[in-house]
Amino acid sequence: MNSRLSRVGAWLHARAENLLVAMLATMFAAFILQIVFRYVINLPIGWTHEISVILWLWIVLFGTAFVVRDSEEIRFDILYGAASDKWRRVMVVISAAALVVLFTISLPAVIDYITFMKVQKTAYLKIRFDWLFSIYGIFAVAMIVRQLWLGYRAIWGSAPEAFDPTKAGSGV
Amino acid sequence: MTLSLAFAAALGVITVLAFLGLPMGLSMISGSILYLLLRGQDMGTAAEQFLNGMYSNYIMLAVPLFILAAEFMNSGTMSERLLKWCDAIVGRFRGGLAQVNVLQSIVFAGMSGSAIADAAGSGKMMQYMMTKDGKYTPSFAAALTAVTAVIGPIIPPSIPMVLYALVADTSIGYLFLGGVVPGLLMAGLVMLQILVIARTRNFPVEPPVPLRRLPRMTWEAFPVLMMPVVLMYGIYGGITTPTEAAAVAAFYALLVSMLVYRAVKARDLYQSLLVSGKTTASIGMLIAGALVFNYVVTIENIPRSLSAMLLAWDLNPVTFLVIVNILLLILGCLLEGTTILLVIVPVLVPTAQALGIDMVHFGVVAVVNIMLGLVTPPYGMLLFIMTRISGAPMKAIVADVMPFLLGLIVALFVFTFVPETVLWLPKLFGYTPTALP
Repeated sequence: MNSRLSRVGAWLHARAENLLVAMLATMFAAFILQIVFRYVINLPIGWTHEISVILWLWIVLFGTAFVVRDSEEIRFDILYGAASDKWRRVMVVISAAALVVLFTISLPAVIDYITFMKVQKTAYLKIRFDWLFSIYGIFAVAMIVRQLWLGYRAIWGSAPEAFDPTKAGSGV
Repeated sequence: MTLSLAFAAALGVITVLAFLGLPMGLSMISGSILYLLLRGQDMGTAAEQFLNGMYSNYIMLAVPLFILAAEFMNSGTMSERLLKWCDAIVGRFRGGLAQVNVLQSIVFAGMSGSAIADAAGSGKMMQYMMTKDGKYTPSFAAALTAVTAVIGPIIPPSIPMVLYALVADTSIGYLFLGGVVPGLLMAGLVMLQILVIARTRNFPVEPPVPLRRLPRMTWEAFPVLMMPVVLMYGIYGGITTPTEAAAVAAFYALLVSMLVYRAVKARDLYQSLLVSGKTTASIGMLIAGALVFNYVVTIENIPRSLSAMLLAWDLNPVTFLVIVNILLLILGCLLEGTTILLVIVPVLVPTAQALGIDMVHFGVVAVVNIMLGLVTPPYGMLLFIMTRISGAPMKAIVADVMPFLLGLIVALFVFTFVPETVLWLPKLFGYTPTALP
C-alpha cells in the first residue's frame, strides 16, 4: 500500500515537472515570437507579452506548490543546518504550525479576493482574472497540506532532511 | 522612529520563522499575513500584493530568462571552448591556469547574469583543470573560482541588477553600464594578486599554445566570444529591451550549442528547462515574498521615517555610504544575497535619494557588496558550492579566499568614494547623474 502510494506520488511529481518545463518553454517561445514579430516583421503584438507574464506567475506558484522540493528552497540555515536531528524536528513542527495557522485563517480572504477578480479580464486574451489568479488559492492550500505533512513526519516519522545549500538556486 | 506593535510582531515572526528554517519567501508572506490580521485589515491583501506585483512587473521576466541562458550555456560545450581559448592567451604566464580562470570569468560574465551559474558551470570545469595534475591545491582552485564568479553579475548582464532596478526604479540599461568598469577593475586586481602569489607559491606555467594555432582556436570560440557583443548591441543599439535581450541570450546560447557545436540533445534540453524552472520558482517566491512584505514596510512608512531620522543626524552622503557598506558586508556574512537586495536595500534607497546619492552609483555599490557576501563566511553561497565541487574543506577555501576578498573590499571602497569609476561609462552613453547638493 505504502509503496504503491509513493509510486503514484512519484508519477504525479514527474508529470508536474513536465508541466513546469512546458510552461517555461512556452514562455521562452512567446518571447522569441514577440521579438521576431516586432523587429523582423515589424508588427508588434501584445498577447505574447501577456502570455509571458501569466506564465511567470504560474511557474512560480505552481513550481513552489508541486515541483520544488523542500530541500531546494532558499532559506536561512545557520541554525537549521547546525541543529541536531531532534532539534530540527522541533523547529520544523513550530514553523509548520505557524504557517498552517496563518495560511488557514487568511484562506477565506484570499478566496474572496480571487473570486472578486472575476469582474476583470486581461487586455489581449480576455482571460478572466479569477481563473488566472486561482493558482494562488491552489498554492495556498498546497502549502497548508505540505506543511501539515512535514510537521506530521517530524513528529512521528523520520527526521527532516539536513539542508543542503548547494541545492537551493537563488539565481544570483 | 517608533515601530507599531503589529509591525514589530510581523518582523519578529519573520525572523523567528526564517531562523527555524522555513523558506524565506514563505516566512515573509506569513509575517505579512500576521501584520494584516493584527491591524484588522483584509488578509486577502497579501494575495493581492503577491499577484499584482508579480503580474505587473514585466522587467522581472529577465530573471528566468537569464537563468535559462546560463543553463543552456553550461549544458553545451560553450564554456569548454572558451576555456581552451583563454588558455591559449594567458596560459603561458606563471600561474597560467589561475589567470585563465579570471579571463574566462570576464567573458562568461558578459553572457551570464548569475554568479552561482558561473561557478557551477565553467567554474566546475576550471576546478577540474586546475587540480587534475596536482598543479594547484583544491582549496586554492576553489577559492579562486569563487572569487572570479563574484565578478559575473557585476559585469552585465546581471540578475542582481535587474532586482535592484525593480526595487529602486532605476534604468537597467544604465545600471548594466555602471557595472562594466568596476567589474573589469576587480578582475584586473585579482589578476595582479595572482601574479604576486604565483611567484611566492611557485605556480606552474602551462605549455604555451603555438601562436599560429591561435586564429583557428579563436574561430572555434568565436560564437561564444560574440555573445556578449550581441547582447550589448541588442540593449544599447536600442534594438531590444533588457528583458528581451535575456531571451535573445538564451536563444543564442541554445542555437550555438545545438547547431554550431551540436552538443545538446533533447534530454539535456529538458533537464536545462527543468533546472531553470525550479530555480525560477525559488527565486520568484523570494521576490514575491519581498513584494508582499515591502507593502507592509511601505504602509508603515519605514523608509521615510528612517530617512527622516538619518537626515536629522546631518549625515553626509559619504558617511552614509560607508555605513551602508559596512552594514551590507556584515549582513552578507549571514544572509542570502537576494534577500538583502529585495528587503534591506529598498529601505535604504529613500535615504540615499534624499542625500543626493546617484541611484546608479548606489545600485552598483550595493550589488558589489552583495556579491562579496557570496564569499564571506559563515553563510556564503559560493563557498558552499565550491566546497561541494572541490571536496576541499570550507575552512581551507576561506583561508585562500581571504587575500582576494581583502583586495576586493578595498576596490569596493574605491567605487564608493570615487563615483566616477561607476558613472563614467553610463555618462558616455548619455546618463545624467544626480548632482550632489
